[in-house]
Amino acid sequence: MHFALSKVDLIDAFAVWRRNSRVYLRLWKTELIAPVIEPIFTFFAFGFGVGALVTSKINGLSYLSFVGAGVLAFTVLMRAVFEMTYGAYFRMVYQSTYDAILATPVNAESLAFGEILWAVTKGIIDTLFILPLVIIFGSATSAFTPLAILPLTFGCLFLGSLALGLTAHIFEIDHFNIFFALFFSTIFLCGAWFPVELLPGWLQIIAYILPTTAVIDLTRACLNGNFAFRHIYETVYLLVVSFVLLNWALRSIRKRMVV
Amino acid sequence: MNFAIEAKNLLKNFGDFRAVDGISFNVRRGETFAILGENGAGKSTTMRMIACRSPLSDGELFVEGFNIKKDEREIRSIIGIVPQENNLDPDLNVRENLLVYSRYFRLEQEFAIRRTEELLDFIRLAKKADAKVDALSGGMKRRLIIARALLHKPKILLLDEPTTGLDPNVRQEIWEKLEELRRAENLTIVLSTHYMDEAEKLCQRLLVMAHGKIIADGIPRDLIYEKVKRYALEVREADALPLQKTNANFIAVKRGTAHLYFAENADQLTLLMQNYGSRPMLLRPSNLEDVFLRLLDTQVF
Ligand SMILES: Nc1ncnc2c1ncn2[C@@H]1O[C@H](COP(=O)(O)OP(=O)(O)OP(=O)(O)O)[C@@H](O)[C@H]1O
Ligand SMILES: [Mg+2]
Repeated sequence: MHFALSKVDLIDAFAVWRRNSRVYLRLWKTELIAPVIEPIFTFFAFGFGVGALVTSKINGLSYLSFVGAGVLAFTVLMRAVFEMTYGAYFRMVYQSTYDAILATPVNAESLAFGEILWAVTKGIIDTLFILPLVIIFGSATSAFTPLAILPLTFGCLFLGSLALGLTAHIFEIDHFNIFFALFFSTIFLCGAWFPVELLPGWLQIIAYILPTTAVIDLTRACLNGNFAFRHIYETVYLLVVSFVLLNWALRSIRKRMVV
Repeated sequence: MNFAIEAKNLLKNFGDFRAVDGISFNVRRGETFAILGENGAGKSTTMRMIACRSPLSDGELFVEGFNIKKDEREIRSIIGIVPQENNLDPDLNVRENLLVYSRYFRLEQEFAIRRTEELLDFIRLAKKADAKVDALSGGMKRRLIIARALLHKPKILLLDEPTTGLDPNVRQEIWEKLEELRRAENLTIVLSTHYMDEAEKLCQRLLVMAHGKIIADGIPRDLIYEKVKRYALEVREADALPLQKTNANFIAVKRGTAHLYFAENADQLTLLMQNYGSRPMLLRPSNLEDVFLRLLDTQVF
């Protein structure tokens, strides 16, 4: 078996990562404010607005406690997805940044890997800024709360890879609309705003196939400390999916860029 | 090993379309080598193959003795590329464009900083070092891309239409810089161009491509003597008059509304001038452009 990942040179990937971080540091104020504003309002809307209507407890949690993981995961995952769709598309097509980088010793796999690493990094940065909000709003009660970074990191890895792989196959920027329509629809299924168990049976099956469900469930477990046996399955599933999609993304970028 | 680049039967297919059709050529170390040809002839594709940006469909290619199929990384680190389309990084300023790029070549930071300033001076953009790339003129962008291609002190510089769209002054300046580099650093330069004066002025040897094949190659002066005669007479606004027939003394060609005559002996052409009365005329030595157009005239596809 030959994995695209084996062609990655970490030093080269890091050079690509540093290019993005340099641009980010220049724009950090605008880059940071947007992802923090949104979760605050989502908390108000879902926590207090919808939460006031929801009197029943969910597995012993108040709605506000339940929805915190959803808000956090949704914001962070969106960030990685945006970076690897519109962000990557701009660099690849409009700015020819990929083209310039591939004229150096950096190969396509290292380039793609550096890009995905960067998307994951952005997700982690956002996590660090949103986690305190989650705590302030009372959605995180467990001492394991900082561990939420782990499922979110892999969530960004798998979704960032998926997004970059798709970007490599897209020749019209409008085609992202289809992907985003699907992405937003699935977020409703994945237990961000209400428990998957409330869905009809067949939708539950779909929900559990979507790795995003595992990301949100694991994040929630970290925030409230209620770990269960299924979290082991979810972790393994998430790792496998991340690995497969990562390789697919690297291969796709080579196919697109090296012709 | 005498050649900087050795290409044998280079072939490139895009699906069913053959962009480069089994060409062979050598580039000597330290020379400027030009690739000429109409739009779509396969110049960029050939250069992209040399730069390891595009895999060969078939054939063999050695760059500084490295086999392109095995030593991609080595080749990429001794080649500098100036692509046909500008691809400077608009998210970074002028200086950052060089500094960030130097990391892809793993240049030591101190060296990269020094080299960046040195190159900014060389291309006379030191004053613009903190400007955004979008604020540069076309000529400045082109110079910056050339500087970027020189960061890692490449042995071979590939320039795909380096001066297209630039004013005569800037072109002149770029030519001087390139010549300076070639002499001072024994750089091998491969460039593609649509400007025959550029090729004639800069290159020691050249090849002309058409439809993915080489239709002529050699030293510019030899090609001129070989493919056209030494002197040319150009008559403009001549479409109302009959073109004289090619004979042992001269070659006659119609090009648009102009008539062109080539002869070994300028006297032959002076005689012809009598036929055209007061039409605008120019009697001159033949040049590479004549060769180029003659080649395309006589090419049958
Ligand atoms: N990625 C590609 N996919 C399909 N066809 C391609 C691709 N790149 C180039 N071609 C085709 O290959 C042929 C040669 O293109 P190339 O860019 O090498 O020409 P060129 O000599 O550089 O032309 P120009 O002077 O216009 O730059 C053209 O017909 C072009 O359409
Ligand atoms: Mg071209």
